[in-house]
Amino acid sequence: MAGIRIEGLSKTYGGKDTDMAAVSGLDLDIRDNQFVTLLGPSGCGKTTTLRLIAGYIKPDAGTIRVDDRLLSSVDGMVPPERRGMGMVFQNYAVWPHKTVFENVVFGLKLRKVPSAEAKQSVGKALELVNLSGLEGRYPNELSGGQQQRVALARSLVVEPDILLLDEPLSNLDAKLRERMRTELKQLQRRTGITFVYVTHDQAEALALSDHIAVIHGGRLQQYGTPNEVYAKPANKTVADFMGLINVLTAKVSGAGTVLLDNELALPVAPPPGCNPGEIVDLTVRPECIRLLPSSEGTGIIAATVSDQTFLGNLNEYYVTLKSGQTLRVQTHPRQRLSIGDSVGVAIDAAECSIFRREAASAL
Amino acid sequence: MQKNTGMQRVALAVAKNFRLQPLAMGAAVAAVTVLVVLPIGSLLIGSVRSDDGFTLTQFHRVLSGRLYVQALLNSLTLGAWTGLFSIAIGVPLAWAVSRTNVPGKRLIQITANLSYLSPPFLTAIAFVYLFSPNAGLINILMRDVAGLPWLTFNIFSMAGLVIVTVIHTFPFVFLLASSALQSVDASYEEAAQILGAGKFRTALTITGPLVAPAILSGTLLAFVNAIALFGSQAIIGMPGRIFTLPTRLYSLFTYPPQYGLASALSLIFVAITILALYLQRAFLARRSYVTLGGKGSRPQLVDLGAARWGVFAFCAAILVVAIILPYATLIAVSFSKSWGLDFWHNLTFANYRFILVEYDVTQRAILNSLFLATSAALLAVLLGAVIGWIDLRSRMPGRKLLDYAALIPLGLPGIVMAVALIQFWLRMPLALYGTLSILLLAYVGRYIPLGVRAANTALRQIDPALEESAAILGAGWGRTMWEVTLPLIRPGLFAGWLLVFVPAIQELSASILLFSSSSITLAVAVYNLYETGHNEPVAALAIINVFIIGVAILIAGKLGGGRIGAKIGAPERTGVSA
Repeated sequence: MAGIRIEGLSKTYGGKDTDMAAVSGLDLDIRDNQFVTLLGPSGCGKTTTLRLIAGYIKPDAGTIRVDDRLLSSVDGMVPPERRGMGMVFQNYAVWPHKTVFENVVFGLKLRKVPSAEAKQSVGKALELVNLSGLEGRYPNELSGGQQQRVALARSLVVEPDILLLDEPLSNLDAKLRERMRTELKQLQRRTGITFVYVTHDQAEALALSDHIAVIHGGRLQQYGTPNEVYAKPANKTVADFMGLINVLTAKVSGAGTVLLDNELALPVAPPPGCNPGEIVDLTVRPECIRLLPSSEGTGIIAATVSDQTFLGNLNEYYVTLKSGQTLRVQTHPRQRLSIGDSVGVAIDAAECSIFRREAASAL
Repeated sequence: MQKNTGMQRVALAVAKNFRLQPLAMGAAVAAVTVLVVLPIGSLLIGSVRSDDGFTLTQFHRVLSGRLYVQALLNSLTLGAWTGLFSIAIGVPLAWAVSRTNVPGKRLIQITANLSYLSPPFLTAIAFVYLFSPNAGLINILMRDVAGLPWLTFNIFSMAGLVIVTVIHTFPFVFLLASSALQSVDASYEEAAQILGAGKFRTALTITGPLVAPAILSGTLLAFVNAIALFGSQAIIGMPGRIFTLPTRLYSLFTYPPQYGLASALSLIFVAITILALYLQRAFLARRSYVTLGGKGSRPQLVDLGAARWGVFAFCAAILVVAIILPYATLIAVSFSKSWGLDFWHNLTFANYRFILVEYDVTQRAILNSLFLATSAALLAVLLGAVIGWIDLRSRMPGRKLLDYAALIPLGLPGIVMAVALIQFWLRMPLALYGTLSILLLAYVGRYIPLGVRAANTALRQIDPALEESAAILGAGWGRTMWEVTLPLIRPGLFAGWLLVFVPAIQELSASILLFSSSSITLAVAVYNLYETGHNEPVAALAIINVFIIGVAILIAGKLGGGRIGAKIGAPERTGVSA
């Protein structure tokens, strides 16, 4: 099968002077049989990366290789029609003038598959995406989810080694999206095709991927398993993008500790190069903080409940420390506190990350 | 109690509405009836009526008479060739503009718009100056100066007629095809590509079928417009003994007029036009799937390399033949004492002085046309606004019928409209024939669809809630219209006004049967001067005509603001011309 190796990939849009880098200096090693997600906010360069892999656009620098075959470089590239990949578009791109069958059989016809065999393959592909029996329908007679699956079947029927998916679920409603998410994951496991999946939805990325590449401002921020990216973000951008997070001000107090509000010592190692006394950002997710009835004891800091929201499966509190810093905390729905209550706050140091302030790290 | 007062208030509001709204609506219905429905009705009756009741003799005579069948065949031949050549020019231009990196795209768009705007009979006259078999300047050059007699061309032929007509009709195909090509979502083509289809295969199996409905639709519009043009068919066709439906109809009104025959022939003409327009609508409806993708990306432009200069040369050639050549000729002739080879020794302002100062007929024609075009455009747009409002906002029973009735004139060639009006008003006690009034009726009737469509487009862009919030604050219908609706649709109405003014100031097809010496119009004056051999003053009057169109576009653009100037060059929305 096929792995993708991307080295030093750059693409700049617009004139040479405007310097709008969509992707710059991207290195990525996507291994065979993997479900890899390119994750980032809109305009971060993830779709450009995908289109570079597909061969719709030519890089300004860098190379793309599949296995050991050079597909794209500044000097030339293999056109999309000779890459043997599949692609599912955000708007499905199911041809409106062709029936479901005609859409799916298109790639097989190009490969000169005999018609009896092609018919069988189309049947199988449609069965795979649960669309059997709809062969004769036109796209305008299908729902969005069904069109989505036609697009999938059309890409899968030619048995590509690599399937590229550009936000394929973003146009579906919430329920359908969840179902298609499960189906996509199962499909990838069953077929063993390498999936490269673009999305801006971090929950989708966490749920689906073997590896996530977080992209921001055209640069790769972190490449790791969902767990790594969520629990150990490489920088504040990643931490901020992957779900809710508290960013607190803390002070480095020693080699292995930081001090929150000059009071609570947390055993978290600051990044290398930090001097004692340096002000840093301490990040911790709302679910890694506990609220206790009293602030007595070590590792606990006193706070006051300032706001409360009941969300059904959990309770969300905002608590304010003496210094005025506010923390967002998610607790079990049974834990009930009122606004104004005094509480103790316990922070799980193992789940905290420390980042240097930009000005300090620039020095 | 509260409910009661609420009810009373509603009743009050209804009572208040009762004054102006029904009045306006009634006036609109009456206007459409008088302008369109009754004349068509008398055309129908006239075609089957004889002294002793019902008869089909007229249809029999039309369908068996050699003259009429030949005219029918000529019209169809003209329409078919024009349609084909409109594709041959329009589609490559559209492809070049929307899919390649050809230089001068703006120029190509301007060429298409100018070709659509410029009065077709003026192009025809200009081509006669250049290519009439004996006196045409280029023919003289080729035959007598260059000694290449085989390079001469006789404009008074079907080929000549097709060339002159195509110059006016290819923009229909160009505009529809280029907007379709631009709205095809790039991902449709990319999806074919990644499955292994090369560029040619993608064009053949994906892009082609997707834009085909738009191209066909443009071709049918070109066909309908081509066969309706009286001016070029009279100027080019009649000297070459090529009679078509409009010119044959015209000849039926030389003394003694044969109303029955004319009615029957008109109806056959209308049937062809309506069939073509019906097909066009059907094709256009299928086009909706082009934009299905919605927010997809634009297709990447094809890099033509050095070949782009070849494509550019093709586009430039169209500009030269369609615009520069005819207008340079008209301008040159208008300043000549006598059109010929020694142009530079012949310069004069006498032609302009003649038509503007000395000759009372042309003076009158200019003033008449200015009055007619200005007021017809105003009336068509106001009527259109009321009809559009009734269709979109009211619950009046039969409002769809009213809307359809207002669209009928789209299917009526100008000369047929004139035949219908003559039939109807001759039976009325009012002596309108030969007056400016009947011309005004003809113009408003012909161009109502443009007014309705302009108002419709404008009204669709306003949220009805804006009107409803005025009503809830206590404003009556008239006040709501005056203070909320009309100001909001004003730019759209200005555009509509211009959309009517431009074809009305050059109207010939209907005027040619309706004018009298006191109600002569600009285009008729041009035609009459041309027929009587006053070549040089004709050119001067033609330039005046084009000058007026240019000034109107400038003024409306200034007053209405925004993109009115651009809107005018959009025949896909209008579908009719002079």
